[in-house]
Amino acid sequence: MDPIVTVLLYSGAAAATAGFGVLPAAMRRRLPSTWIGWANALAAGLMLGAAYTLMVPGLDRGALQGAAGAALGIGFVYLSHAALRIEDLELNRLDNPAPEYGYQVLLINTLHSAAEGVAIGVAMVLSVRFGGFVAAAIAVHNVAEGAVLATILASRGARIPEAAMLSMAAKVSQVLLAIATFAVVSAAPALLPWTLGFAVGALFYLVMVELLPESYREAGHTTIALVTVTAMGIVVLLGGGPR
Amino acid sequence: MNLHPAALVFIYGLITALATGLGALPFAFVRTVSPRFVAWANAVASGLMLGASFGLVAQGTRYGSWQTLVGATAGVGFILLTQYVLGRYDIQFGRARGAGARQMVLMVVVMTAHSFSEGVAVGVAFGGGVTLAVVITAAIAVHNIPEGLAISAVLRPRGVSVWGCVGWSVVSSLPQPVMAVPAFLFVEAVRQALPYGIGFAAGAMVFMVLVELLPGAYEEARRPAVALLVSFTLVGMILFQQYL
Repeated sequence: MDPIVTVLLYSGAAAATAGFGVLPAAMRRRLPSTWIGWANALAAGLMLGAAYTLMVPGLDRGALQGAAGAALGIGFVYLSHAALRIEDLELNRLDNPAPEYGYQVLLINTLHSAAEGVAIGVAMVLSVRFGGFVAAAIAVHNVAEGAVLATILASRGARIPEAAMLSMAAKVSQVLLAIATFAVVSAAPALLPWTLGFAVGALFYLVMVELLPESYREAGHTTIALVTVTAMGIVVLLGGGPR
Repeated sequence: MNLHPAALVFIYGLITALATGLGALPFAFVRTVSPRFVAWANAVASGLMLGASFGLVAQGTRYGSWQTLVGATAGVGFILLTQYVLGRYDIQFGRARGAGARQMVLMVVVMTAHSFSEGVAVGVAFGGGVTLAVVITAAIAVHNIPEGLAISAVLRPRGVSVWGCVGWSVVSSLPQPVMAVPAFLFVEAVRQALPYGIGFAAGAMVFMVLVELLPGAYEEARRPAVALLVSFTLVGMILFQQYL
């Protein structure tokens, strides 16, 4: 199979799992806010674990370039949020009457997914097995994120099939960036440590700016920390060992 | 001077512990302490501790992933237990009481517990021969400075004097000389325990960040400011560990 097709299949499957996120919203119209907090914490832990597993090969292939790439990744996410004036947007409001809020939430989710696409794409360059592992971690994470997004959309009057389609549509950027990153880094291997760093920086910053702050407001600090550290530990254990 | 090698290991370990006090120095220049400054200091401490944990885990999984995981689970349990015990008493730390005092005690306890495994690492490193002693000591001493910085970032904004920060930073590293000597004398036995200790230190630090430092930071400062500080400090800390 052409490697690009493999990347398309893996990242496409990861993006499609976001659609499963509507299940809780379909069963009961409104998720309790503690559940939203736990879903965010689960997503945060999986992403932190993915960032760690990408850091390890990055350090072996050039720590300085990796650090520079990480600074670019952090800066990219921060500046794109600032340019779109959504850096202070409250992400998980279920009763925000502003008409533009729905678009802003979809936009911020699309940007978030783009960074994860870079992570899947660069992991695929290292090996198909590692790429599949990162894609699987992101896929589980997408279910949790899709659940939060679908609940917000449902609270704004979207029907369940619409919410499922929009949750998946917000992940299309993940597929596109995975393929583009894989193609570019495969063609120019010198970019590998930079891109690994970029993915680590962007994923870590997104956890710190989007997922954790929301989750602490929605559920107790101890349960949030436990969910996050457990999800992170599982990813690190399965993916962080010697390859 | 003809010292027993074990005494030499102790002295070198002590020097690395004293270096931790240097981390308090930046706070000598801080005059006003606003709630937002506390939040930023929390964010810096979080980045330093998460970066240190990422480095520790990368090292621990080389010895054994499962042992590291068992150690990390114990580290998380240790924080939960310490929180529970501290919650039962009305503790006081300096002039602070309540949540602030709890965070300060936890911080000192976590960093002290984490020094045990570092002390073991010092001793095991010396086990290869004392010839590289000066290099190893210098490297670990420099490593300790950000740890003093992390402790001071939590203690100083809550009312501890600069010299108090120096003192607590050094105290948190005293397990290093104490643990280095038995680790040096019984290298083989101790090497087996190292991944557990590394996992314990990493689990305790990550959980401390997630359960105490970050929630406090988000309450008092803007999310992007906290996230930028944590992220850039993490990158700096990982790079720092890589080259020293």
